[in-house]
Amino acid sequence: MTALLAARGLTWGLAWGTGGRPILGPVDLDVHRGECLAVVGPNGAGKTTLLRLLTGLLRPAAGTVSYLDQPFSALSRRALARRIAYVPQLRPSHVPLAVEEVVLLGRYPYLSAFQMAPLAADFQAVAEAMRLVGIEELRGRPVDELSGGERQAVFIAAALAQESELLVLDEPTIHLDARHQSDLAKLLLRLKAESGRTVVLATHDLNLASLLGDRLLALSGGKILEVGTPAEIVRPDVLERLFRARFEIVRGGERPVTMLELS
Amino acid sequence: MLALLFLAAVAAVLIAPLLGTQSISLADVLRGEPTAAAIFWQLRLPRVLLALLTGAGLAVSGLGFQTLFRNDLAEPYTLGIASGAALGAVIALRLDVAESLLGLPLIAPASFAGALAATALVAGLAMRRRSDSTSTLLLAGIAVSLSCSAIILFLQYLSDSTQTFRMVRWMMGGLAVVGYGDVLWVLPWVLGGTAMLLLSRWELNLLLTGEELAASRGVDLVRLRLKILLATSLMIGALVAVAGPIGFVGLMVPHILRRQVGYDHLFLAPACVLGGGAFLVLCDLAARTVMAPAELPVGVLTALLGGPFFLWLLVLRRNR
Repeated sequence: MTALLAARGLTWGLAWGTGGRPILGPVDLDVHRGECLAVVGPNGAGKTTLLRLLTGLLRPAAGTVSYLDQPFSALSRRALARRIAYVPQLRPSHVPLAVEEVVLLGRYPYLSAFQMAPLAADFQAVAEAMRLVGIEELRGRPVDELSGGERQAVFIAAALAQESELLVLDEPTIHLDARHQSDLAKLLLRLKAESGRTVVLATHDLNLASLLGDRLLALSGGKILEVGTPAEIVRPDVLERLFRARFEIVRGGERPVTMLELS
Repeated sequence: MLALLFLAAVAAVLIAPLLGTQSISLADVLRGEPTAAAIFWQLRLPRVLLALLTGAGLAVSGLGFQTLFRNDLAEPYTLGIASGAALGAVIALRLDVAESLLGLPLIAPASFAGALAATALVAGLAMRRRSDSTSTLLLAGIAVSLSCSAIILFLQYLSDSTQTFRMVRWMMGGLAVVGYGDVLWVLPWVLGGTAMLLLSRWELNLLLTGEELAASRGVDLVRLRLKILLATSLMIGALVAVAGPIGFVGLMVPHILRRQVGYDHLFLAPACVLGGGAFLVLCDLAARTVMAPAELPVGVLTALLGGPFFLWLLVLRRNR
């Protein structure tokens, strides 16, 4: 099975006065088609950096990343954007556009400067993306008027409009309340089932990772500690090594649920 | 809304040439009455057309900069383009070559060269760092702008009163032209610059959602910044060379229009072209009639409007 995304010897942050030790890497990893890979780790482990490298936003100091055996260096920015869609953690606080306009901007990799207006195919992709996410009724609303969860949904719809096979999300549920976290998790599960996309997400939330991930990648200090199924990673010994904190398993099984142990 | 602006611009161009210190009637002009015709065709119409083009260029450049820097207070002048142009002009005036070197007026090419040099310097400074972020550009621009202003002050100190007076007057801006030479010279720059900005409308829209998101969609941020910088600096350089630095238009017009037309550059860019043009035509009309028979330099008028405008912005922000 060819990996959808393959990273070999990925390294970043060499020249930053760390005494020759890179901030991230070297990292070897494969993302399989159709899976959901959850990257977990403590603050400063390099999750966001890894995601940026995997989406081509950052250029590695050493190593390569390839999409279906095509190295990133051989792909133009737009070609890459047609294959990988990214929803970053940080966004400007003020986005003065309507929902539909933001989702339409996800079509940028397909739009040419000389077209007067987007094509029917573009509008179709936008409609489909909004349907998948369930925000059709919000289409004309200004994004600034929406709640945090709704806003997140809009940006996910925009990423879906890119019609890429790979979706990368950085901390999608951070700052969301329980209701919106639940909505988002359900959305991601639905996406996996309905659209067959491959998803890579970085999260602080171990239980979310356990719930959604087919595989979990434990990242610490810029290096991969372990890769495995939720049952293999969400274990007290692994988690203690990863987070230097004690966890107890509240519910075992294929997708364990965990909690901090404060005794 | 765009249609409205278009009509306003057309109306301005048609009516403004008829008004002024000496009012002339359209009938006289069409009849071919010599004084009226001369005033209309040789003095007023070129001036109004120049105001239209200058206003359009300034407004659309202001829009480009405000989106690029995601700062509603950004203007081409923030990046030292106008200071560079002013420095070029001041040097030419100081060396007394402004009027003629080999019989050609040198002040225009000198200020154009100054504008381009300032832009090249800013771009060069900002590009040396690998993280070519917009804040680096902004800092480089402020540095260049302040340095140019300092040198201008120094040169003014070294100049005699005639030269100094000329420098100060030039820096107030003025649209008084005779004939269509200047208009025709400015036209391609404004058209080219506006076209380049219009072609980048998707990228500019994407910038509104954040730089990282834009990059992940395939926008080449470095190239985009260079493109906008180049388009606006060529346009502004040409305009300042002919009309002197006219401030605040690039700041006020996009602001006002944004509230009416929205943020989508597909509509906002043409709106700025039309609205900016109409705005400056009206400003120029006011400038040449309000203190009749004397002519107020249009730059003074826009500067006088600028202060209250900033205050209004401040009040708006407080109330939001």
